[in-house]
Amino acid sequence: MFLIRSTADEVFGPAQFVDNIFTPCETACYTNVKDMLRIGRPLAVPQRSQQMKDRGTIDWSVLSGPRVSRRTLLQLAAASGATAYAAQLSNASASGSTTQRVMGALRQEAKQGGELRWGFGLGQIPTLDPAQVNLGIVAGELLSNLFSGLVQFDQELAIIPDLAEDWEVTEDGLEYTFNLRSGLTFHNGDPLTANDFIYTYERTIDPDFASPQANKLALVTDITAPDDSTLIITQSAPYAPFLATACSRGPGRALAPVPQRAVEEMGDEQFGQAPVGCGPFMIVPETVETGGGFEMVAFENWYAGRPLLDKVTVQLVAEPSTLVSALEAGDVDMVDIVPLIGYEQISSVEDITMVEAAGTNWYGLTMSYNRPPWDNIDARMAVVKAIDFDDLNRKAFFGRAIRSIGPLAPAFGWVYVPADEVDSPQTFNLDEAKELAKKAGLEGVQPQLIGTPADQRVTETIRSQLSEIGLDVQVDQMQTNAYVERRTAGDFDMTMLGSVVDADPDDGVWNYFHSTGPSNPQGYNNPEADRLVDAQRETADEAERTRLLQELQTLVANDAVYRFFYHLPDVTAFYNYVQGYVPIPEQRYLETVWLDQ
Amino acid sequence: MTQYIIRRLIHSVIIVWGCATLVFFLMRAIPGDPIIQMLGPEYTPEAADALRRKLGLDEHVLIQYVQWMGDILRADLGSSITGAESVQSAILSGLPKTMSIAALSFVIATTIAVPAGVLAALKRNSFADFAVSLFAFLGVSMPSFWFGIILILVFAVNLGWLPSLGYASISEDGVLEWFKHLILPSMAIGAGYAAILMRFVRAGLLEAMGSDYIRTARAKGLAEKRVIVGHGLRNSLIPVVTVAGIQVALLLSGTVVIETVFAIRGIGRLLVGAIFDKDYPMVQGAILVVAVIFVFANLLVDILYTLIDPRIKYD
Repeated sequence: MFLIRSTADEVFGPAQFVDNIFTPCETACYTNVKDMLRIGRPLAVPQRSQQMKDRGTIDWSVLSGPRVSRRTLLQLAAASGATAYAAQLSNASASGSTTQRVMGALRQEAKQGGELRWGFGLGQIPTLDPAQVNLGIVAGELLSNLFSGLVQFDQELAIIPDLAEDWEVTEDGLEYTFNLRSGLTFHNGDPLTANDFIYTYERTIDPDFASPQANKLALVTDITAPDDSTLIITQSAPYAPFLATACSRGPGRALAPVPQRAVEEMGDEQFGQAPVGCGPFMIVPETVETGGGFEMVAFENWYAGRPLLDKVTVQLVAEPSTLVSALEAGDVDMVDIVPLIGYEQISSVEDITMVEAAGTNWYGLTMSYNRPPWDNIDARMAVVKAIDFDDLNRKAFFGRAIRSIGPLAPAFGWVYVPADEVDSPQTFNLDEAKELAKKAGLEGVQPQLIGTPADQRVTETIRSQLSEIGLDVQVDQMQTNAYVERRTAGDFDMTMLGSVVDADPDDGVWNYFHSTGPSNPQGYNNPEADRLVDAQRETADEAERTRLLQELQTLVANDAVYRFFYHLPDVTAFYNYVQGYVPIPEQRYLETVWLDQ
Repeated sequence: MTQYIIRRLIHSVIIVWGCATLVFFLMRAIPGDPIIQMLGPEYTPEAADALRRKLGLDEHVLIQYVQWMGDILRADLGSSITGAESVQSAILSGLPKTMSIAALSFVIATTIAVPAGVLAALKRNSFADFAVSLFAFLGVSMPSFWFGIILILVFAVNLGWLPSLGYASISEDGVLEWFKHLILPSMAIGAGYAAILMRFVRAGLLEAMGSDYIRTARAKGLAEKRVIVGHGLRNSLIPVVTVAGIQVALLLSGTVVIETVFAIRGIGRLLVGAIFDKDYPMVQGAILVVAVIFVFANLLVDILYTLIDPRIKYD
């Protein structure tokens, strides 16, 4: 087995492999992909504090193209307080060398042609209309092959040109001027000009269209096209991640250009099934089956040249064991994400390469502050200390999870703290847990633990572990939408929650620990936590930001807001004859892939 | 007979209507809002309202019901609310797959069950009888999804003889590919079906072979083969056909699980996905189709009775 390690081993020593546990079944795909694998979560628009208003000294024009380095983005993001995406840049670091080595060695002999059969661990893809896609995995892995963006990422997550060959940002950071390449076309042959972005913008923000991506364009006040190749976007406030979150190929799908003629002729419904895009591959409409998959073929007129593969067949496989078997049996050449249960099976096959990147996620158990006795720190801490991670890892995560002490994930190497390097208050200690439980009067209490069928292993293990401190946990298992509704309404004593596709640690802390965060159904409200969360968004100094984030991590661990469980890396796998794959975190760009057969 | 069939058809329509109505209201009674799930936890109330309006879910439930019934009468099953697909096209693309699996399972099951059941009955308490009984016991006990995974591991992963997933259509890929893709899922479902059927064949034949008319047949000097096939087996078929009809439900519910295991998007998987997403029109449409199949399979069984046993008359 070949192993290509990107950031993982450089960041935290010998790679510890963990799979994605989030694909055990269709439900799981839904719960977790939707909840957790969302690259493009609705962007929490940064709060405009006083500090941010006094930002006269920042020169935002450094964001101008044709290449915005990670360093620049990082500095600006940090300086602006709008840090979504920034630290992802600072942590994609080490992947470059490996990737370049792989690419360098393989590109020289690259062959054109062939079909890649791609197993995709989803039960169905509701839509491929960029403005309507709300699954991060669909955006980063499928849309990025069907649609180009104004800009795209390189393997270090720097922003590089895509449809725009160059761009300028004014010093105040409010106005973006993109210079589009000439001679661009959509897959149907229609010319692609600046006006198509205006049409796309208007379509996305139309309230009746109800695009889940519309909020990414909330700061845009004006969008104009002085000529066919110039696009000017004006915003009401400077916001550094704009290029990544609204303009990039894949995740920035809010502005993925759609051809007006095709949309109007096909209607939104049909367009969502077989969109006419502008990326390296074009969909073959006759092959689309919402729950089955589709074929995409090389777009001869892609501006960067025809991709190497002739065809990619996307085969949806909801059942993880089938996905694993299909790869092993050679019925697919590549899988998008290796399911947790298949890790061992796949890693024993010599002909298969696994590519791993450090994860950006965290996952844990939270308790509702609105429901006594869980407003009591002793009660929460008793639960936290009563949970034996090693046992849980063995029983629920196939022994693959990396113990976490908080929300700061390994991919963010500059701020990540490995669990064994610190003395966490959350370490399993049954004696202390029993003492705290006695103090909090937990004997005989029957907390309601809600979850989906995908959580069953976790909930059952927790139920048995917590019985040790006298709790009689009532597991309430329900289908995903019922679960999401109850969780959103805060109707639970305990539930599992976490954050997966984060662009920056900010995603995984602001949403979850800020009193106004959208993923704070447990009702955590600590002014000190709010202060730390806000401050880390607004500091320009990375060392200071690291300190603030780590302080926050310690605070939420001490407050037992969550019992933090684990972090998982992003793992993909393919046969050794699949060459030229460039691991870009959470993305699967396939134009460089070729088959050595 | 014609009158009987017409009467049964009218009953069938009422049953299907009742089924559709039940599903319509049950889906809305189950907790969980598809809108919130579609928009994600950070949804805004405005976006939720807009989407609800767009999908027509802001109307009173009775109005939605009347609209849906009207649409059905116009042969329009509507569109998926979570995807971009029309319910009709999803069902039309799924139906051939599910029916292929069900039909092949049926063929496999009867091919195994009838000879094995006859053998077990004729060689009662022999080794063959025990072997057949053991097979039947295993067939009934094994969950089809588990058996399906085992079949994949053996025939696709280890032996590499058959594909592990997917569906090939006859028109595009030819009969051989179609068959190769369907044999494993059909075996997974057919095993349980065969086991049940076999028990009934055995029991029915044993009972028939002890009857007076068998003794008469033998007494008048008929060849033993004719006695068994023409008199014994034929008379034992009534309960078998009854069970076969009822067990069509088993085949259809089997496909729900097996289609997921083999990544085939037939009606079963369509239904599972739609229920998880609370995709009302899709669930309603798929259930409607399944109900129609089930009701007509049973009508067919009742008509078959008259062919098997001329004494049965409907009037």
